[in-house]
Amino acid sequence: MTYRLNVRLHRFAIMLSCMTVALLVAGALVTSNEAGDSVPDWPLSFGRWLIGSNNFVANVRYEYSHRFVAGIVGVTTLLFAVCVYFVERRGWMRSLGLLALGGVIAQAAIGGLRVLLPEYKALIAIPHALVAQSFFAVIVSMTVFTSRSWFEPHEHRPEGGGVSLRQLSSIALGAVLLQLVLGAGFRHGAIGIAPHIAGAVVVTSLIGVTAALVIRRHRPERYLTRPAKLALGLLVIQLGLGIAAYLARLASANDPQPLEPMISLTVAHLVVGALTLATLVVLALRCHQVVAPRKHEIPESVRAFRSSARGAAA
Amino acid sequence: MLKKIGTLCVMLTLATLLIVAGCGGGKNKNKVEDKGPPDKPVYKSNGDEGTISGKVSFDGTPPTPKKIDMSQDAKCAAAPGEKTIDDVVVTGGKLANVFVYLKGGPVDSHSFPAASDAVILDQQGCRYHPRVLGIQVNQTFRVTNSDETTHNIHPSPKKNEEWNQMQAQGAPPIEKKFSRAETLIPVKCNQHPWMRASIGVLAHPYFAVSDKDGSYTIKNVPPGTYTVVFWHETLGEQTQSITVAAKESKTQDFTYKAGAAGATPSMQIGPTLVLP
Repeated sequence: MTYRLNVRLHRFAIMLSCMTVALLVAGALVTSNEAGDSVPDWPLSFGRWLIGSNNFVANVRYEYSHRFVAGIVGVTTLLFAVCVYFVERRGWMRSLGLLALGGVIAQAAIGGLRVLLPEYKALIAIPHALVAQSFFAVIVSMTVFTSRSWFEPHEHRPEGGGVSLRQLSSIALGAVLLQLVLGAGFRHGAIGIAPHIAGAVVVTSLIGVTAALVIRRHRPERYLTRPAKLALGLLVIQLGLGIAAYLARLASANDPQPLEPMISLTVAHLVVGALTLATLVVLALRCHQVVAPRKHEIPESVRAFRSSARGAAA
Repeated sequence: MLKKIGTLCVMLTLATLLIVAGCGGGKNKNKVEDKGPPDKPVYKSNGDEGTISGKVSFDGTPPTPKKIDMSQDAKCAAAPGEKTIDDVVVTGGKLANVFVYLKGGPVDSHSFPAASDAVILDQQGCRYHPRVLGIQVNQTFRVTNSDETTHNIHPSPKKNEEWNQMQAQGAPPIEKKFSRAETLIPVKCNQHPWMRASIGVLAHPYFAVSDKDGSYTIKNVPPGTYTVVFWHETLGEQTQSITVAAKESKTQDFTYKAGAAGATPSMQIGPTLVLP
């Protein structure tokens, strides 16, 4: 079966990706401004779906804006999932669309629990962050799968000796996701900063090695080297932002309220972390598409199927 | 591959929620399980109670009060009064807002009925008044809003039920009770993050908060030996031992040193290690 590029669907995916970044910013602003409990009811806000201007003051601006943008992203995700379901011929893409829809619904429920159970807010914040970043990764992946470059023919490149890039890129992606969760744990006071710093060391090593191997082994293939270089660049920025955000938090520990530059630095650190995750999603997917798997990476059942298929063709 | 990651994430989320729910159960299940003290005899006055009074001083240069940015709420910005933080209030070398209470002796071996009058926390000028207050277990805690803006009151106790309630301009007072002794419960307004207060909940009435001149008085103290606890929200907690004879008026002063105030903040980086 031939699958066709659908430009409109791809643009829809891009738009939803950008909206998700905006939602991540809105969520980060809530935490950085300590506004998480400023609207004490859920799913309504002060008993209404749309609050009046007299209530839209102080920290309520951040919390309500977060809910509002989340609502828009939720509805947009529903529309996107419906479009994918009826437009896409690739069954797994329909499943991804449903997964994204399930993710945004779960995220809304977790957000509600966060408001209704303030005594568990530190614990609930961690799955809230995990689902947020995972949802973003799913939307980014769907953007990749609907892109023109994904449909273009690519020469299968050999894996080469040494570490498997397919595996390494996947591990780096998982490590970044875990690092984002550790960062959320620290931000919400569930854990100290030590795990997040340790995670930064691990992530830096993994991204550095992955990017270096991609660039060295597949230098002519810009399809792979561009996301690799972007990941390296974002990593450098993220490390700088992490140090700056931590120092800003230390310096502002006795401040009467969250102030700049701590707010901007912590929000920027979170968002660049999400963009790093997105870049690694792209890199990992492209590695899996373009870099030929080694024999031992192919499940026995698949190898048997392929050889019988070749035999039948002969 | 991504489906596997997505499935794993969903399973992790569900597992986490199950763990939270399982560990939660009732609202207070994460609180220290206070089975309550064995039935204590109700204290009966012999008419030989004494008084503990004193002054809390601050030795050294107090930290410069930091400015509060109230611009995010025009009603708060327009409210009269200084827009500076009032956590360390030193006047003529005397320290205000120190919570002083007794431990040990007859206050721990007897039970005391809760006072019938309510303890009031008012929101005025986008600040809590008073900043530090004491209340007995099961005594009425009343919150009023004298401002022209909406606040929300969010105590974050460890042993009592946590609640978070909005109070609009002109809304009726909110009345609550704390069922367990706890020192001290932080209170904040989530709409105006600079608004902070602290509530000391005790099973007995032997507590006081130092005034602007640093003075405090604890009346009707049964004779006995006690630990006097001095607690300040940024300067920390200190204790002194004291013995009060029958009908004695005892003076117990205390001095906080400047080094404890505005010290370089630290952040816990793990279970045992603290970075400067």
